[in-house]
Amino acid sequence: MSLSRDELIAAAEQAFDSQSLAPDATQSWQTISEMGWLAMCVPEDRGGLGQGSEARAVIHHALGRALVPGPAIAQMMVIDALTGGSRSDEADTILEMAMAGERMTASLALNIGDVLSAVPDADMSSHLLHITDERVALVPMASCEAEQRETWDETRRLFDVRIGGEQRLVLAEGDEARTLSETIRGNMLLALAADSLGGAEAALAISIEYLGTRHQFERPLAMFQALKHRCADMRVAISLADALLWQEATSASLSLTRAGALKAQASRVYKEVAEEAIQLHGGIGLTLEHPCHLFLKRAFLNCALGGDADYWEERAGRECLASA
Amino acid sequence: MSETIEGLRSELRSWLVDNAPSDWRLADTHEGFVAGQRGWFARLVEAGYAVPHWPQQWPGGGRSLAEQKVIYEELARADAPRLLLTFVSTYHAFATLSECGSAEQQERYLPRILEGETWCQGFSEPGAGSDLAAIRTRAVLDGDHYVINGQKIWSTMAQYADRCLLLVRTDSSGPKQAGLSYLLMDMKAPGVTTRPIRQIQGDEEFAEIFLDDVRIPVSERVGEEGEGWKVAQATLASERGLTLMELSYRMRGAMWRLADLIHANGRNDDPGVLRDFGRLSARVDSVCAIADAYLQKRIEGTESIGDAALVKLGYSRCLRAWADFGVRIGGVSEQYRAPITFGDLNTGNWMADFMNSYAWTIAGGSDEVQRNIISERMLGMPREPKHWTQEASQ
Repeated sequence: MSLSRDELIAAAEQAFDSQSLAPDATQSWQTISEMGWLAMCVPEDRGGLGQGSEARAVIHHALGRALVPGPAIAQMMVIDALTGGSRSDEADTILEMAMAGERMTASLALNIGDVLSAVPDADMSSHLLHITDERVALVPMASCEAEQRETWDETRRLFDVRIGGEQRLVLAEGDEARTLSETIRGNMLLALAADSLGGAEAALAISIEYLGTRHQFERPLAMFQALKHRCADMRVAISLADALLWQEATSASLSLTRAGALKAQASRVYKEVAEEAIQLHGGIGLTLEHPCHLFLKRAFLNCALGGDADYWEERAGRECLASA
Repeated sequence: MSETIEGLRSELRSWLVDNAPSDWRLADTHEGFVAGQRGWFARLVEAGYAVPHWPQQWPGGGRSLAEQKVIYEELARADAPRLLLTFVSTYHAFATLSECGSAEQQERYLPRILEGETWCQGFSEPGAGSDLAAIRTRAVLDGDHYVINGQKIWSTMAQYADRCLLLVRTDSSGPKQAGLSYLLMDMKAPGVTTRPIRQIQGDEEFAEIFLDDVRIPVSERVGEEGEGWKVAQATLASERGLTLMELSYRMRGAMWRLADLIHANGRNDDPGVLRDFGRLSARVDSVCAIADAYLQKRIEGTESIGDAALVKLGYSRCLRAWADFGVRIGGVSEQYRAPITFGDLNTGNWMADFMNSYAWTIAGGSDEVQRNIISERMLGMPREPKHWTQEASQ
């Protein structure tokens, strides 16, 4: 049964209230598991809820909006690999654990090789997804070396991981591996786009709220047309990227390049809105106790993860040139 | 469903091979352009592709959203002319009369639109642009006629129109919106004079209308006296909704012009150019997507205030960026004048397209007006108090 977008959004909003930003990581992970979100896009015959990309977008939009910490995007990449790769008893067992909330992780950068960067929560994870040109495999974290990197974005914990040992569960090889890795990465990009637009939505909302309460020159700042028009432009930018997000999330087949172009647009909008949010908040926006900076830092990280705008837009340009 | 959609696409594609005018861009007089527009409209009506957005009871109407999109996309892809001459009649006049016209007015005027009768819109005045409700063209009751005096401006194709959707002032005593009425005017009536406006790119898409003691029967009023503002909203809503879907899809259908230009200038391996092209392409996609989503909301009745403004602002800024990119890639040769195509927004004469794009950032509610609508009525930010403007004008 397919859930409607509105039903999914309502459930997501209940789980993560956009008024409580950057909630506790452990509690958040528990909520994500209990909500069944990790099983959301797993086919029903593998024990999941059988939902598509639209549900995925709703989830990550909600996580982005409330600045929820944790490795949800990486976890879902592992789950995508397990459901899209060759089936075995071992794969089924690991998939079950992953859906139940056992942490597993993957690199959110586009790197290939034996040292992976931008791997969330590697210290708490049991398995690591390893994608190469030839192979998609799961490696036990116990056989890898993880080094935590302190990130500007306080809502995410990232590690560099050196892959070690020979023991791995191969999920796909050759052409199948390439197809599977495109699917996994396309979904990651969609998730990053949704996270970005959720964050942009929240950053704009708190800015408008602040402009309505802060008085200078005997009037609320929100009354100044110069500021209103900047907010309107941000609203337009977010709504345009949103329209593209929902269109791509409901399309029958999402190409990797289109997902990349979408993520490039969405993360750029996020960064621009978060940048403006601090400016519109004035001095208070520069203080560590105010949440504005959390949006800016997460936005910059989202711009960098999954391949940057230069990479994806050049690739999209080449494809459009060939097909126009 | 996709089978019928793809069926429609291939049917229209082959129809266009035989029927799409190929020489319309060469029209070098306005009269030649208008004759071409009339002929093309008649052919589209006959084939059932002219008014896909009309309801089912009309020939060629009742198309689903998906079908409409295919039609607009294919027309653009085949480089067929956009229907500028009949733009106001098939959108604004049709929507206004369908929603607010009397049964008799509908019966009299709607069928004639398909026969080629053209309409223009008499709204803006020299002193009333963004502040439309400030119009001063007067209509004074004289027996069973109104007598009209005043001036209208920025009226699309008014110099060729048969009839006019005319917004007039019937009362100056109360609030400015409450004193307006909406009339249907015969452009051949004594006292009506039009003068085309030469635009910066050389086209004459708009005209001024001068009204000297023009007599309009009271039976040609739409709605009650004093309801003109309400009726005008129906006219304006049609412009911000359906037309933008057509134009967005036409812009996307014309992406090949940019691709050709990139190739022709040997820039097809230039990463900077490719990036900007990829970025623009995604932006055009997002404009099409928001136009789609907006129409879906209208169909479902879930439209909110400001939604149309988001679409219009998204489209107008993207249209400017589209032309700007072409001017940049074309280099110096774009600075040499080339003949313009009348009545099209995505022509590949990039300087002309750039200048023509102001029609969408200024007309139909400027970008600034859209930003006011979005911030005040959608985001709930407060309006300036009225007394500021009084202080400023003292």
